[in-house]
Amino acid sequence: MSKEKTPTLEETFIQLEEIIAKLEQPEVTLDDSFALYQKGMEKLKSCNTMLDEVEKKMQILTADGTLEDFE
Amino acid sequence: MMKNVYSVGQVNTYIKNMFAQDFMLQRISVKGEVSNCKYHTSGHIYFTLKDAAGTINAIMFAGNRRGLKFQMKEGDKVVVTGSVEVYERDGKYQLYAREIELDGAGNLYLKFEALKKELEEMGMFAQEYKQPIPKYAKTVGVVTAPTGAAVQDIRNIAARRNPYVQLILYPAQVQGDGAVQSIINGIRALDDYGVDVIIVGRGGGSIEDLWAFNEEEVARAIFECETPVISAVGHETDTTIADFVADLRAPTPSAAAELAVFDYYAVKEQLQTTENRLRVLVSQKIIKARMKLEHLKTRLSYVSPAGKLRENRKYAADIEEKLQERMEKILMSKRHLLALLSGQLEGLSPAKKLSQGYSYVSDASGRAVTAADRISVEDTLNIHLAKGSLKAKVTEVNIE
Repeated sequence: MSKEKTPTLEETFIQLEEIIAKLEQPEVTLDDSFALYQKGMEKLKSCNTMLDEVEKKMQILTADGTLEDFE
Repeated sequence: MMKNVYSVGQVNTYIKNMFAQDFMLQRISVKGEVSNCKYHTSGHIYFTLKDAAGTINAIMFAGNRRGLKFQMKEGDKVVVTGSVEVYERDGKYQLYAREIELDGAGNLYLKFEALKKELEEMGMFAQEYKQPIPKYAKTVGVVTAPTGAAVQDIRNIAARRNPYVQLILYPAQVQGDGAVQSIINGIRALDDYGVDVIIVGRGGGSIEDLWAFNEEEVARAIFECETPVISAVGHETDTTIADFVADLRAPTPSAAAELAVFDYYAVKEQLQTTENRLRVLVSQKIIKARMKLEHLKTRLSYVSPAGKLRENRKYAADIEEKLQERMEKILMSKRHLLALLSGQLEGLSPAKKLSQGYSYVSDASGRAVTAADRISVEDTLNIHLAKGSLKAKVTEVNIE
C-alpha cells in the first residue's frame, strides 16, 4: 500500500474517529483543536465526495467490453 | 452341556433387527451394474446390482418409483440409494431402493462430493485465500441471467440501499449447455473491467439447473478472480461448489446485494453525526476559551493603567464637583454681603443729601467748588439739585 493512495471511506472513518478522540481530550490546545477541526471537516468533505450522489442505472458489460444501459 | 436352540424365524428376526439398528445401512448409496432387471406388473422393480467383487439383490417398490427418473436397463451403471434390510422369509438381505441414479456423468451428487473433496484438499476453500468484501463498494459486478428473479432482486435491494452504487451486469447463461463458459467469461470480464466486488449467482432451481455452479472450471474462475466474489446461488438450502470457493457465500441473490451494497443512508447519517460531533467539540473549546478570556479581561482591567487612570479621573471629577459647590456657596455669601453693604452705602450717598435741599456746585470744567477763593465774579457755576440743575453767574465773592 503506497502512501499516495487515497484512503478508502472506511479508513477515513477511522481517521475521523481518531480526530474526534483527540478533540475530546481536555488538554488539547485551541490552536490544535482548530487544526483538528479543519482536518476533520476536510475528511468529511472527502467522504461526501466519495459517496458522490449521482443516481446510477444498472449497466450491461457487453462481450466487447463496452457498457450499455440495462433494459 | 445345555445349548440354547433357536428357531429359524428367531434367528432371521434377530438378524433383521441387527440390520435395522445399523445407522449406515438405513441410508446407503451403492454403486454397481444392473442385471436381471424385471419390471413387475405390480409396479415393483426387481434387479441385481453387481460389480467385480459380488452381487446384491435389489428391489424398488412401486411407491418409490419417483426416485427413478430414467428407464433402467441391463448393464446400466447406477448408484442406488436406499436401505439394506433382511427379508426374513428367504433369510436373505437385499437393497431396498428409494432412488436410482445413473453413475458417472449422470450422478450429480457423487460428482459434487468428489469435486468438493478434491478442491478442499487442494486448499481452494481455505480461509486464508478469502478476500474481504469491501465495505463501501462503488461498483458491483453481477454475473447472472439478464432475465429472471435474481437480477431484479439484486437491482431492487441495491436501489433501496444505495442508488448511487453502479451495478454492472454481465448477462450470463446460468444453466444448460454453455452456461459454464458463460459464467466464467462473466467473472473474467468483470474482473478485467474493474469492479469492487462481483456477485455470481442465480435464483432457485433443481440441482441440474444449478449445476453449472458445481463445475470445477467455474470454481477455478472464482478462485482466480482478483476481485472479491460473493456467491449467491439458489435458495438458503442450496449449497454449491461456487459457495465454498467464493470469498463470501450469500444464501440468496437478495442477500448478496445486501452484503455488496452498503446502506447509503446509514453512512450519510453517520457522517452527519460525525460532523455534528466535530462542531460541538470545537464550539465547546471556543466557548471555554472565550469564557477564560472574559475572566482574564476582567481581572486585567482591575490591575491595568487604564483602570487606574479611570479611577483617578473619577476621583478628580468628584473633587471638582465638591470644589464647585464650595465655591458657589462662598460666592453666594459674598453676594449677600455686597447687597447689605450697598444698602448701607446708599444711605451715605450725596444724592440723598440733595433731596433734603442741599445742592452740589461745580465750575465750568465740572470740578466741585469747595472754596470761594478760586472763583471770580462773572464765573459761571453749575448748581446740581435733586431734580435738574441750574446755571448761575457769580455776582460777589467773599473770601474769609
